[in-house]
Amino acid sequence: MAKLYELCITSQLSNLTQIAEFIAQRTALAGLDEDQAFAVQMAVDEACTNAIEHAYEGRQDGEVRVCCYLESRDFVVRISDRGRPFDPSSVPSPDICAPLQDRQVGGLGLFLMRKLMDSVEFRFDAVQGNEVVMRKHRQAGQR
Amino acid sequence: METTTTHLKRCDVIALKGRFDSNTAPDLEKTLRASMSQGVYDLVLDMAEVDYFGSAAIRALVMAYKECRHLDRGDVRLARVNQRVQHVLDLAGISPLMQAYDDLTLAVGSF
Repeated sequence: MAKLYELCITSQLSNLTQIAEFIAQRTALAGLDEDQAFAVQMAVDEACTNAIEHAYEGRQDGEVRVCCYLESRDFVVRISDRGRPFDPSSVPSPDICAPLQDRQVGGLGLFLMRKLMDSVEFRFDAVQGNEVVMRKHRQAGQR
Repeated sequence: METTTTHLKRCDVIALKGRFDSNTAPDLEKTLRASMSQGVYDLVLDMAEVDYFGSAAIRALVMAYKECRHLDRGDVRLARVNQRVQHVLDLAGISPLMQAYDDLTLAVGSF
């Protein structure tokens, strides 16, 4: 099993910068190019925002864990929290073709995560809580 | 993140700098609302120094766009959008709907 790197923060939006720095460092060391690194950073930022705003509903003392590791050709990020169960199917997909006047708020973060990553999976376990696992394929020749 | 508003005759130019995530997007919204509350609905957002623009910032942008265009009283236009932010706006389906200019003077002159 490849080495696993972990960052644990409390559920405060002000910690998003620290998470972005952690991901920037890990993606660089994994040899992801700038575009891939940016995609992972943004997807992680949106996923952690969901955990803080929705799973913990504004509570600031919750725990959000961000783990990353390499698995064959994939850079994998696992984000977990112990907040309220999150059901991604309850979030409507935004209609990105609608006139801006008619755009509904919400759902955009999840939509972007799916666009930016090669796979996004959600799990909920009564003991472990919410977990989202996202993968970005590395190209051949990347470390 | 940092925002700087300059009042011009034709419009307000709001220069954005740094990282606009869910933590800082409420400040962006406040800045945009400050112009609108003074009756200025023609806004140019200078995006040249934006490092990051997440979904919460996009929501603030769409909010301003809707309010400014309400009753045809104004518009929100973008200037000097860098490649990274452009990609995000493309993904979110914002780009085809919002006028954007490579040059700040052209953006201001468009009003």
